[in-house]
Amino acid sequence: MTAALRYILRRVFLLLVTMLLVSLLTYLAFELVSGDPARTMLGTEATEEQVQALRHEMRLDRPFTERYFRWLGGFFSGDLGISYSYRQPVWGLISGKLELTLLLSLISFVLITVISIPLGVFSYRFTGTFAGWPRTVLNQLCMALPPFFTGILVSWGFGIVLKVFTPGDFPGLRNDFSGSLRHLFFGAVCLSIPRIAMTVRMMRATVISEMNKAYVRTAISRGNDRAAVLTRHVLKNSLVSVVTFLGQTLAELVGAGIVVEQVLGIPGLGRFLVTSISHRDYPVVSAIVVILAFWVVLAGTAADLISQGIDPRLRLSTGRRRIGGAA
Amino acid sequence: MKKTILALTLVLALLLAGCGGAPAATPAPSATPAPSAAPSEAPAGNAAETAPEADEATAAASPRAAANEISIGIAQDFDSLDPDYMTAAGTKEVLFNVFEGLVKPNSDGDIVPAVASEVVKSEDGLNYMFTLRDGVKFHNGDPVEMEDVLYSVERRWKGEDTAAQLAALSVIDSLSADGNVLTITLSEPSNEFLAAVMNAYILPADYDKQETSPVGTGPYRFVSRTVQDSLVLERFPDYWGTPGRLDKVTFKILESADGLVLGLQSGALDLVAHLSSDQTVQLDQDEFNIAEGSMNLVQALYLNNAEKPFDDVRVRQALCWAVDKQAVIDLAFDGYGIPLGTSMFPSFSKYYDESLTDYYTPDPEKAKALLAEAGYPDGFEMTITVPSNYTPHVNTATVLVELLREVGVKATVQPVDWGTWLEEVYSNRKFQSTVTGLTSDNLTARKLLERFGTEVSNNFTNYSNEEYDEILAKALRTADDAEQTELYRQLERNLTENAANVYLQDMADLVAVRKGLDGLTFYPLYVLDVSTLGWTA
Amino acid sequence: MKKRRMNPYLTAGLVITGLMLAVILVGIFWTPYSPTDMKYGRFQPPSAAHLFGTDNFGRDIFSRVLKGSGTTLAIALSTVSIGAVVGTLVGAVTGYFGGWVDEALMRLNDALTAFPSFLLALLIVSLVGPGKKYSVILALGLVFIPSFARVMRAEFASLRGRNFVTEARLMGAGNARILFVHLLPNTVRTLLPAFTIGFNNAVLAEASMSFLGIGVTPPDASLGYMLSEAQSMLKAGPWYALSTGLTIVLLVFGVGLIGEGLQAQDREVA
Repeated sequence: MTAALRYILRRVFLLLVTMLLVSLLTYLAFELVSGDPARTMLGTEATEEQVQALRHEMRLDRPFTERYFRWLGGFFSGDLGISYSYRQPVWGLISGKLELTLLLSLISFVLITVISIPLGVFSYRFTGTFAGWPRTVLNQLCMALPPFFTGILVSWGFGIVLKVFTPGDFPGLRNDFSGSLRHLFFGAVCLSIPRIAMTVRMMRATVISEMNKAYVRTAISRGNDRAAVLTRHVLKNSLVSVVTFLGQTLAELVGAGIVVEQVLGIPGLGRFLVTSISHRDYPVVSAIVVILAFWVVLAGTAADLISQGIDPRLRLSTGRRRIGGAA
Repeated sequence: MKKTILALTLVLALLLAGCGGAPAATPAPSATPAPSAAPSEAPAGNAAETAPEADEATAAASPRAAANEISIGIAQDFDSLDPDYMTAAGTKEVLFNVFEGLVKPNSDGDIVPAVASEVVKSEDGLNYMFTLRDGVKFHNGDPVEMEDVLYSVERRWKGEDTAAQLAALSVIDSLSADGNVLTITLSEPSNEFLAAVMNAYILPADYDKQETSPVGTGPYRFVSRTVQDSLVLERFPDYWGTPGRLDKVTFKILESADGLVLGLQSGALDLVAHLSSDQTVQLDQDEFNIAEGSMNLVQALYLNNAEKPFDDVRVRQALCWAVDKQAVIDLAFDGYGIPLGTSMFPSFSKYYDESLTDYYTPDPEKAKALLAEAGYPDGFEMTITVPSNYTPHVNTATVLVELLREVGVKATVQPVDWGTWLEEVYSNRKFQSTVTGLTSDNLTARKLLERFGTEVSNNFTNYSNEEYDEILAKALRTADDAEQTELYRQLERNLTENAANVYLQDMADLVAVRKGLDGLTFYPLYVLDVSTLGWTA
Repeated sequence: MKKRRMNPYLTAGLVITGLMLAVILVGIFWTPYSPTDMKYGRFQPPSAAHLFGTDNFGRDIFSRVLKGSGTTLAIALSTVSIGAVVGTLVGAVTGYFGGWVDEALMRLNDALTAFPSFLLALLIVSLVGPGKKYSVILALGLVFIPSFARVMRAEFASLRGRNFVTEARLMGAGNARILFVHLLPNTVRTLLPAFTIGFNNAVLAEASMSFLGIGVTPPDASLGYMLSEAQSMLKAGPWYALSTGLTIVLLVFGVGLIGEGLQAQDREVA
């Protein structure tokens, strides 16, 4: 077994461990969060007997471990369970929303990649010059724009005033594909702005630190063209951090998208998760949480593996610099 | 017994506003139709004539007018469509158009024959004879047979599926069928029996796909449903009664805060009920009429009577003197709403005692004096726990904080999510005070009062008063309607005098209706009857 | 060695943040109107008397923004402090010792990161009890631990092998001493910018949680809560959303500039 293969296997194993932990955490959360699914379903008028009978039916009176392993078994055999409030299979309920959430994330991701990479390299050119400060200020300003606020502005400007789309009334991919894409695009813009700023800033910092390295200085002092050195060596070497960073961005987009889905009324997973939590519809919640977590972990793992492919010297522990994540 | 107990289909279910999780309002629009504009025809109850042909000039208002269909916006998703399992008030509100019982309510609040063409009650009140109407068909084309009726009533009475049972039908002693007459014998006379049997929807016997494609006998039949998106109904051509006017009705789910308003503005929606005044002011007067009904609920600052300091009647009375109901209505509801003084609303005109509304008039000095007498000369601190997803209650609580501050009471609003509220406040009674709306989802007033009996399981305010318990027991025992009415009124007075809670108002139900659309009918129940709606020529 | 000059971004950031802090501090003791009085007329547009106009209850929005900024600031600071302190501890232990403790804690860390943060927050609020005033801070604080832990772990791991650590160990220093006396001061370079970024994310996280309205809401109105209220009144009073939203942006922007400045200064020194 080659080292690379062993590394990949290890990553996949870690991924599985993390997923298991996430699902366990989810189940623990159900144990601890106040609010009883049976009572939430029955509302305010049910008698205690009715609540108990429903708890029994929903197996809520079974021990925690039994419920967890039953769910886990179901999950691995492709059965996500039945929603409490809709009484329909969970997968059928969430599959259509999953594609919206993924689409929203992917559009944002494409926007971020396509805009920030050239911008990042370009902005390096302005280092230290007079033109540098408006860039930095603009950059910080964009980073300070929370997606839900831009979402509100966009729904006001493009929704109410210009009527380009109707916030809250998502047309649906099957009914009106281009209208749906337009709707998603506005969401993606709100999501992307601060992240483009972060990526540009990060790229710039990486390129600068790379340019200051001895080999680059040597190359330039030997009369090599600065631009050629930049494209041939520096960019390639910066790529690793960029890929890691983008991988993490891709992971974060799904979580951050929840708020945007809420503001613009995109019926994606995030919005469904919020409603399902307040309904205590746990089969739906656990399915969505695990799917979102899978996405997060997968994006991270993929980024690591790609970095590994670019630069095999990399060890597992590349420090990631990003603090906290909104929602 | 493998299905279960989703019991909220229970007839006498007295729901709390917000039931079902999302900001679902539970309560019912009122019998006082007040269409604010609608210059054309009287909208009222029996929209008899078939829809006039849509005129091209006026039809321009909505692209759907020409197709004779409408799109209605609703704020929360439906839950199960199986009548046995639907618990959300918002689901029942809409499926009222799909399902019917032997009898059904009309817009005046009377119970009228439906699948039964005639109902005869015996002298002693123990036997009810229902004659099946000829030619009633299910949406799948099958005729309604006695077999189906027996099946439908029996499962609600004592079916093996606990979920389907209606507690109020437990007074039934036996069922017997003779030709096309169903006789229901009761074990004791009951004033509420007919209202209960109204919710025993007549369904095809042994049809097990109600969940995915519900089949009933109502004026509209189910076409399709997309979870978290929409529900489509179409006119049932073989309906036994007055057919619906519109060919097709689409219910569009828009859960986001401004989605409904934007949907109306953009032309995607034609009608939205249960709007707030903040939402209606955003609509163009030239495009929409705003009809005002009432929600038929008792909104109050509900106090935990077992918790200090509310175990002291003087403190509760002080709060009543301190709170200006009209100020709440003006500040949080832009003046829409009917002030209440007890646990009863005007739609139940028989029981409603209007004089109790002004039992406490705003008087901060009196409030302070009472507080001082109770040992709180400097006021006290209290928490108002509210379900965060139900904005009207949160807003009310916010205004209450201000009003209470004037008498030295420092209140804090604590928003919690709906599941937490239900568990902690309603079920475990671990709260000081809360703002919510209590209602009755059938045509009897009983549940509005019964819940304040000391030993009653849903008495979440822990109100405990010996006199009240005695009158209540007497009221529930008596079969004489006049006597019962009098006892109910005594109960109302008892609640007011002892300041069980700070009663506020019956909230207004504002409905935005696109111009050109008429026939909106308010019921004293939480239902939206689409069969009377139609486009004006 | 050239004299350390104040970086212009740092200066600008400190000025903006300082001004905002000053205004917020004033707001604690004095606001032009009572932020809760409901007697100034509903939805009055901005005017000289009411700088930011009034809201749906007829409250003065400017006064409310002052108070709300204070709440937001307090929550964000406490939140990020919890994240930084606990995160640094976890990062120190895992980064310095490595081994199975590292592996276990980092897997838990990954799981927490992958777990939707508002569900995590809702969980904590439920555990602490919704009535408690500080449950929101605890809940958000927990959400911020994993990211701090990851950054600090990398920092401690990279410092572990440095010469001065080996020297200290040779001189008989114990693990605790090495960790807190020798290593911790060296992590400040990373911790400080991380703290500013974390602060900004905390402001935004609190706002998003309030915004989603699932009960992770502080009892006193924060900017985020106000913004979520404002969303449903865009047409009647767009100034409400604008003034609260822009205040959030300004707050985050100021602190962001400080972070930028700190890092730039760091580069200049290095």
